[in-house]
Amino acid sequence: MTVDVNALCFSYDKSPVLEDASLKIACGDYAVIFGPNGGGKTTFLKLLIGGLKPTGGTIALMGQEPAKVRDKLGYVPQVQRFDRQFPISVLELVLQGCLSQLRWWGSYPPEAKDAARAALAQVDLLHKEKDAFGTLSGGEMQRALIARALVGNPEILLLDEATAHVDQKTQILIYDLLLKMKGKMTILMVTHDLQPILEKATRLVCINRRLTLYAKEEMCGHFALGLYHPPPPR
Amino acid sequence: MNLIEALFTSPFLVMALLAGLAASVSSGIMGGFVVIKRIVFISGSIAHSVLGGMGFCLWLRRTQGIEWITPMHGAVAAALLSALIIGWIHLKYKEREDTAIAALWSTGMALGVVFIALSPGYNVELMNYLFGNLLWVSHSDIGLLVGLDLIVIAATALFRHRFLTICFDETQAYLQKVPVRFFYILLLCLIALSVVLLIQVVGSILVIALLAIPATLAGSYTYRFSKMVALAVLIACLCTLLGTAAAYQLNWPPGATIALVAALLYAARFLFRKSSSV
Repeated sequence: MTVDVNALCFSYDKSPVLEDASLKIACGDYAVIFGPNGGGKTTFLKLLIGGLKPTGGTIALMGQEPAKVRDKLGYVPQVQRFDRQFPISVLELVLQGCLSQLRWWGSYPPEAKDAARAALAQVDLLHKEKDAFGTLSGGEMQRALIARALVGNPEILLLDEATAHVDQKTQILIYDLLLKMKGKMTILMVTHDLQPILEKATRLVCINRRLTLYAKEEMCGHFALGLYHPPPPR
Repeated sequence: MNLIEALFTSPFLVMALLAGLAASVSSGIMGGFVVIKRIVFISGSIAHSVLGGMGFCLWLRRTQGIEWITPMHGAVAAALLSALIIGWIHLKYKEREDTAIAALWSTGMALGVVFIALSPGYNVELMNYLFGNLLWVSHSDIGLLVGLDLIVIAATALFRHRFLTICFDETQAYLQKVPVRFFYILLLCLIALSVVLLIQVVGSILVIALLAIPATLAGSYTYRFSKMVALAVLIACLCTLLGTAAAYQLNWPPGATIALVAALLYAARFLFRKSSSV
C-alpha cells in the first residue's frame, strides 16, 4: 500500500479533529477526499506529509514514516494563504521544488531550471515564468503551485482544494492534468466539487472526523453535485 | 567646513562613515528578509534587548576591571541570545509569541538601563546606545563591524534560496528536507548581527527605521528579491550618507537624523503612491 492509515487520531489541544480514521490507498490510485468544512480534510493532509504528529494511530507512506519520505511527496496547498506581495517570480517558485539540487554555493544547476520550465509547460504557464507570482490570477497561482509540486517527480501528489476559487476553464485544465498523471503517481485530492471528478477517481473518501470510503455507485445524484448529504456508511 | 572637506581632515569621520556604510549593506540585505517574513516586531525586540548586553559589559569593565570586554561584545552576545530565545519561543509557543517577545524586549532594555546606572563614571554611553553615534566608533569596533558584515553577506549568498523558501512557505521547505528550525534561527541570528551593526549608526531604538524602511521602499519597485535587496542596500547607504551630512551641517544627532531621512523617503513614497492612485 502507498498510503496506510491505521486508527489515526488527532486533536488540536483538547478538541478532536480526527478519530479512529483508517484508510488504505494503493499505488497509482486517484483518491478524492471530500467532507464538510472543519471535517478534518486539511488536517489529514498535514498529517500525511508529517507536518503534524498524530495523537494516536499510525501513518505509513510507502511503508515508512511520512517524515522520512517527505521528499517523495508533492504538496499543493490552498492558494489563499500566500502573500501576493512576496517578491518571487513564477520560475523561482517552481524551483522551490528543487531545493535538494542546490549547489553548495547556493545556486540551482541548469538541469533544475530545465525541469522547472518543463513543469511550467505542463501547466501551460511557461510564458509567465518571469512574472511575479503575486500578479498571477488565482487559477494561474494554483497551476504554478501544481508545477512546483510536480517538478520533483513525486510518488504521491497531495492537493488541498486545488480547484477552489478558479474558473471553469482552469478547473478543466487542472483535472485534465491530473488525469494525465493518473497511474504515474498516487493522487490524493481534497475538493468540495465532486461532480467533475467522480468518474475519474478510483477512491472516494469522506472525512468528517472519521474516514468513510465510498464506492462510486453509492454516490447519490445530489451528493455528486457537491452537496453534503452522504449515504449512510457501509 | 562641509562634510566632504571634513572627511579629509578628520579620520574619525572617515571611520564613522565606513561603519555607517558597513551597517547599511547588512541592513539592506537582512531588512529584505525582515520585511518579506513580516518579522519587524521580532527584529525590534532583538534590537532593544541588546541594550542589556551592552550595559552588562560596561558594568563589568568599570566595576570588575575587565578591560578587554567592550559594550560591542555584549551587544553581539545579547543579540544572538535574544535571537535564539525568540526563535525557540516562535517554534515552541506560537500562540503566545507576541507577549513573550514583548517581555524580552522590555526586559533587555530594563537590564541595560540598570547596568548602565550601576556603572561608575559618565553615562553618556546610554544615549549613544539608545540613539546611536557614528563618531563613537573605535578602531577595534571597525574590525568587528566589517567582520560581522562579511558573515551576513556570505551566509545570505550561500543560503538565500533556503531562506526565501522558509519565508514564503515553511511547509515546502520542510518537504524538501531543509532543516527549517535551523535555518529560521540562523536567519534570526543574522538579523541580530545586522542589528548590532546598526546600533552604532542609529542606536537600538531607531534600528527598525534602517532595517525596515529601505527594504519596504525597495520592495515597492521590484518583485525580484535580489533586486529588492540591492536597491535596499543603496537606499540604506543613501539614508546614512544624507543623514550624516545633514547632521554634520545642522549639528543634529546623527542617528536620529539618519532615521528621519529614512522616514522622509518613506513618506515621500507613500504620498506619491496616494496621489497616483487617485
